[in-house]
Amino acid sequence: MNPFMKLTAVAALALSTGLATSGLSHAADTVKVGFIGSFASDTGRSTLRGAEIAIEELNAAGGLNGKKIVLVKADTHEDVTEGIKAYEYLAETEKVDFVISGCIDDVSLGWLPRMVEYKIPTLDTWTSNIGIIDKLVSDFDTYKMYFMNVATDEALAALYVDFGKDILAKKMGWKKTVIVQEDTAFGNAINGLVTQLLAPEAGIKVLDTIVYDTATVDFSPIFSRAVDSGADFIYLVASVNSQVVSSQYVKLQVPLAMTGVNVSALGREYWEDTGGAGGGISTLSPIPSVGFAIDDESAAFVKKYQAKYSDRPKYPHFNGFNAYFGLKQAFSAAEKAGGFGLDKWVPAMENEDLVLKKDGKLWLRYAFWKPGEKEPRTGRTYPHNIKFDISPPYDSGAPSMVVVQWYEDGKAKVVYPPKYANGEFAVPSWVKKK
Amino acid sequence: MTQILIQGFLLSGLYALMAIGFTLIFSVGRVLNLAYGSYLMLGGYAYFYVSQALHMPKLLGFASAIVMGGVAGVLMYKLLVKRLAGDQVAVEISTLILAVVIQAGVVLVFNDSTKILLPIVNGVWRVGSASITFNMLAAMVASWVILAGLFVFVKRTHLGRAIQAVSMDPKGAVISGVDTDRINLITWAISGALGSTAGVFFAAYTQLNPSMWVAPLIIVVAVVIVGGIGSIVGSLIVAHIIGFMEIITTSLISAQMRGVFTMALIIGVLLLRPQGLFGRSDL
Repeated sequence: MNPFMKLTAVAALALSTGLATSGLSHAADTVKVGFIGSFASDTGRSTLRGAEIAIEELNAAGGLNGKKIVLVKADTHEDVTEGIKAYEYLAETEKVDFVISGCIDDVSLGWLPRMVEYKIPTLDTWTSNIGIIDKLVSDFDTYKMYFMNVATDEALAALYVDFGKDILAKKMGWKKTVIVQEDTAFGNAINGLVTQLLAPEAGIKVLDTIVYDTATVDFSPIFSRAVDSGADFIYLVASVNSQVVSSQYVKLQVPLAMTGVNVSALGREYWEDTGGAGGGISTLSPIPSVGFAIDDESAAFVKKYQAKYSDRPKYPHFNGFNAYFGLKQAFSAAEKAGGFGLDKWVPAMENEDLVLKKDGKLWLRYAFWKPGEKEPRTGRTYPHNIKFDISPPYDSGAPSMVVVQWYEDGKAKVVYPPKYANGEFAVPSWVKKK
Repeated sequence: MTQILIQGFLLSGLYALMAIGFTLIFSVGRVLNLAYGSYLMLGGYAYFYVSQALHMPKLLGFASAIVMGGVAGVLMYKLLVKRLAGDQVAVEISTLILAVVIQAGVVLVFNDSTKILLPIVNGVWRVGSASITFNMLAAMVASWVILAGLFVFVKRTHLGRAIQAVSMDPKGAVISGVDTDRINLITWAISGALGSTAGVFFAAYTQLNPSMWVAPLIIVVAVVIVGGIGSIVGSLIVAHIIGFMEIITTSLISAQMRGVFTMALIIGVLLLRPQGLFGRSDL
């Protein structure tokens, strides 16, 4: 966004939040939930809408001990400074009892000190930053009001190494890769996971890393360089405007398979956003992802969501589900604890456990790792992170991620891990199979 | 090397097409139209709306883009530039602000999400590691055809010669009976139409986004400054220098450095040869 637009947007935000909230006061007969996230992004909207539906249902069931639950919102514009201001606004002006976040990593890291200062129970539904959970590991009492109901990136990486070994190396026979990565903190973090974890464990050699600026709109020389590297496949790491790199991969019919992390491919709008030029792309995704078969309770949420909202995202992203179920758990804990006082609410929230079954099997689970509780595979603790399971047969929790494949006919399926797979990992039709 | 040559020529052709309309306005009106990138954006969105959202024939999409650009050019001249005549700084600032306003308008109508335009001409050739899309070939061919057409128009037609006269000496043109206001209006319309035509190819090659006007603007400003005031031939050559520089940088040095050398070139030329490499006072 250029400076003029930014200035206008900030002025508009200041005006709109001022107008929207003037005259509101924290009445004693209401409980306030504050949403923090981007109003414009699909991910921000997913969390917001999941929270809105959960609050509607909670209010229909009598609210919290007879008190009506109201939702107030603060826009982060996916900007760290705006995010900090938004958290302060929720805490100081709105005096919220609970915060639900749909923020990206950098923004959550930005307002985290404010959360500690105001001591407001907070649930993050999108960020998977292990650094935040590490803060709870090292200083639990200070950060104990924080919960994250998406698996951390470290847990996500553990399962992605399995995908590298089982599918990329073993099934496809790929031994060499070239990383095409955007120049962001996210890009660098995933690059680290691939070069230091996935590649050595799967026996895949990284021949070259091509880092591009997020403003790049012409990828033809980048793809040519990737092809010239002699790699068996491209490992893409793209979160900003990643539909552009995807669509150019398809339009240019790059003769190398491409997998990796492609954030735009996480939503149902991906096909529309790429104008149909998005087939052959695969990406890891937190769950429930696009193409993910869902249980009855999740399906009921989707039905309500689609009846209520007609604009994008037409199908909630994973964090929409997290917000819906997570907010209900937060209020269930508050009911048991007699409110959101940290001493009683935190242990109550730690004990919340929602198992969603499909065909009689555990399919999704909303529970949290308790302080000191060790995850058996990594041997470390993840206090207040969602209780994921990264070892087959995934019977004590949902896996930390799945791999989603977009096919050339516009359909998306889960291709890994096998328990959740409803499709096959495939290379695009123009790529010669080895 | 082959892929650098191929991709260099394709990209340069597109850049030349993007720069023509801007050069024309700079030559005739001595005005840096900083809303020029908006023509590209409007052209891209008009084509997208007609051919991709309404599923109408591509030719109709193209026609709507050209009309959109032409009308935008006329309105810009009549409502803004003409009223600020003589004050170049005011024109530059107001056209820049106008571009931001147009961007906000596009966000209102189409929202701020990136859209992908399907190729105007489908198909890909592979030569070594390079992919040659028919779309880029079409842009390159269109660029050369339009450049040749513009050259003939300016040199051989009565109206073209009048445009040339205004570009060389506006006062002299008035004395000779040329209606400079009419010539300026026509030039702005042509510039808008050329910009929006380039926008369709540019968007089909890259993306459609409300902030997509910025990158092309930087490129065309570079072409005009480095090429020299109003020199079509200079613009053509510099479009190729910049196009090749970008491809070579990305392929052999670093993808992150792609635009840096273009900026360095602008600064270097401004310091060493302010009139541009091929600077002239007429078309």
